[in-house]
Amino acid sequence: MNRSVHWRTRTAAAAVAALSLGVLAACSSSSSSSSSAAASSSAPAASSAASSASSSSAAGGTVATSSCGTKPGVAATGTPINLGTVNTDQPGTSFTDISNMAQAYFNCVNANGGVNGHPIKYYIETEQTNPSQIASEAKQLVQGDHVVGIVGNTSILECTIDHKYWEGLGYDIIDSGIAPECWSTPNSAAVNMGPRYSSDGAVQYAISQHVDKIAFDQSNVPGTGYIAAGPQAITKAANVQIQTFTTNVPIQSANSVALQLVQAAGKNGAVVLNFTPPEALKILQAAAKLHIQNNVKLWGCSTPCDTDFLANALGTTFDNKLFVNAELTPADGTNTTTMNLYRAILKQYGSNVSGGIGSFSQFGFVEARLAVQALGTITGAYTVQSVNAAFKALKNVNTGMLCDSWTYGDYAMHIPNNTDYTVTPNKGQMLLVPGSGCLQISTSDPQIAQYVNLAGRAPADPTTAGS
Amino acid sequence: MPSWSEFEPFIVSGLALGGVYALSGVGLVVLYRATGVLYLAFGAVGALGALIAWSMVHSGGLPPWTAWIACILVGGVVTLGYGTAFGPPLAGRDPLVRAVATLGLTLILAGMMDLLWTTSGGQARSLPLPTDNGGFSIAGVTVTWTEVIALAAGVILTSGTGAFLRYTKLGTAMRAMANDREITATLGVPVRHVESAAWFGCGVLAGIAGLLLQDLVSLDATTLTYLIISSLAAALIARLRSIVITFAAAIVIGLIHDLATPITALSNYRDMTPFVLAAIALLWVARNRTVMSRSREEA
Repeated sequence: MNRSVHWRTRTAAAAVAALSLGVLAACSSSSSSSSSAAASSSAPAASSAASSASSSSAAGGTVATSSCGTKPGVAATGTPINLGTVNTDQPGTSFTDISNMAQAYFNCVNANGGVNGHPIKYYIETEQTNPSQIASEAKQLVQGDHVVGIVGNTSILECTIDHKYWEGLGYDIIDSGIAPECWSTPNSAAVNMGPRYSSDGAVQYAISQHVDKIAFDQSNVPGTGYIAAGPQAITKAANVQIQTFTTNVPIQSANSVALQLVQAAGKNGAVVLNFTPPEALKILQAAAKLHIQNNVKLWGCSTPCDTDFLANALGTTFDNKLFVNAELTPADGTNTTTMNLYRAILKQYGSNVSGGIGSFSQFGFVEARLAVQALGTITGAYTVQSVNAAFKALKNVNTGMLCDSWTYGDYAMHIPNNTDYTVTPNKGQMLLVPGSGCLQISTSDPQIAQYVNLAGRAPADPTTAGS
Repeated sequence: MPSWSEFEPFIVSGLALGGVYALSGVGLVVLYRATGVLYLAFGAVGALGALIAWSMVHSGGLPPWTAWIACILVGGVVTLGYGTAFGPPLAGRDPLVRAVATLGLTLILAGMMDLLWTTSGGQARSLPLPTDNGGFSIAGVTVTWTEVIALAAGVILTSGTGAFLRYTKLGTAMRAMANDREITATLGVPVRHVESAAWFGCGVLAGIAGLLLQDLVSLDATTLTYLIISSLAAALIARLRSIVITFAAAIVIGLIHDLATPITALSNYRDMTPFVLAAIALLWVARNRTVMSRSREEA
């Protein structure tokens, strides 16, 4: 009897818990999650009809998704071209929005003619910063899934772990880099700048505003010395003082971090941050609550701060006070054909892109677009050799999202994105700083100098907003 | 070495940080004294309530005050649900087993929050409280009313729960139950009701702490969930017994942590403060016990 009462109580408790979970799911802001399994990119026939194509019309411009392919409304039925990717996906660090957006782009292409009639089949592998897992996933893509190209890799360790493997097999990767090897090796070309060069850009902007000292802070993770070397070289060349800091994350005492940085920078100095958006937000909000945000001349931040989430959360406190290096065309207030196509594809095919509009999904869009453009030039069979030769042959491509055109090329290292924008919060959005245009990352950073010596500076992309 | 004027603002921020640790630390000790369970899910439950509150305001368009109440209630309901489902079966087990079981709840909640309120794509959230807009200035920095409330909540919690556990019938029953559940039951105390009250009350505390901490620290599931680790140090210094010592230890930890920030040689090691102080306190307690037992033997 007593046992039965206990059972009923526990059942009731379980029911309450289940109900709570239901409420939770309803309350949640996110509606989807990405799969770690390989995903096919074959688009459903229903969504391929031209009549169902979504369109985007920001500030007057209208673009139908069907313009992503060469045969609007005609689904590709040929032999699939297998492409693969490895993305970090773990609690607190997920880059799956990049591959999910690339998948969305490929789905669009497949629904509108494919690549010369061939659909792209995209295999997405996710990893949890485990070196052996990353190495085995690369082998799985090659040996198990028979991919002929790697597009969209975004991983904390992947470049470090796999670059020798890719070089040995003749794969030339189009990726969004994080580890130094993504820019310093011959078989990886990133569409982004990564933390070092983006921090360079933020520091350069601060110097251009005549600050006399910079307090540069970043999260205390492996590779901080490599990242800080860029801003240190740039400030040295400009004869501006710099003090570098590292802070453990997650930050528990943002007040003390903000105080420390503001004291270090001084009244005519700048605080430059290189953190993920939630961590940067903690420091910025702490400064605002302590009312010390105006105790320095300006605040700067590398690309991760370029999100509307951050601009929204900050309110108007940092409008025209925080200057963020943006590696891609700002999504807000930009009305170009490419940006409208990106928005339309995201809307129609990007249900798995949990972050929506933002840098991550823009990276995925650009990488997929570059891959499709390269694949379109192949006239024979789609082999590892032909596909990677086509990737490598990409030269002066106008992506519509980068300041300058993008080139892969046959170089010992690749930093093809080395010119960028500066944005600032403006009433909850991140908008281009008026009159700022595009900013070339200085050759005072020896890595940039080395790349420019090899490849030169690319011509400006006339299809982007900042050119 | 920084000047005194450079140290001053860090005293203010250190007190605020101490208040943050005190809120969680005191909550931990209260529940431990009431149920005998080291509730490691305290931070995760508070984070869950805060994120639901954020969704209610930003996605549901509900008035903020309803979201604040929901945050507190979620803390109470989830904790009560856990206590009802797992409290009785684990009551006879070792305290370590009971603590590890709450770690299981922590990991489930952390995973769920990461899935539902993802940070992918650079998502950052905040749920500012109206008390952030007012405050006063000390040593060149502003102290918001939220920080004052957090510190006051710590004091009220410390004195209030201390008095409740010592002077009320329910509080006495809770303490008795935490010591020996079976004997308490044989004395005619309705242990299930008492236990439910303890779990729900502590869940409400977790909810209140979550609501304040999301504003004071960050509305980030990972940060709020693992904030408990630093607060645990304060609770350990008090050996999970004294609420007053927990509060004082939390304030000292916060102060030392922040005062170490402007000292370049110590700055990178300041996050070790809670653990170093906890280790020193535990070693000191162990040494004192040894000395005292030797003295007794000699006598």
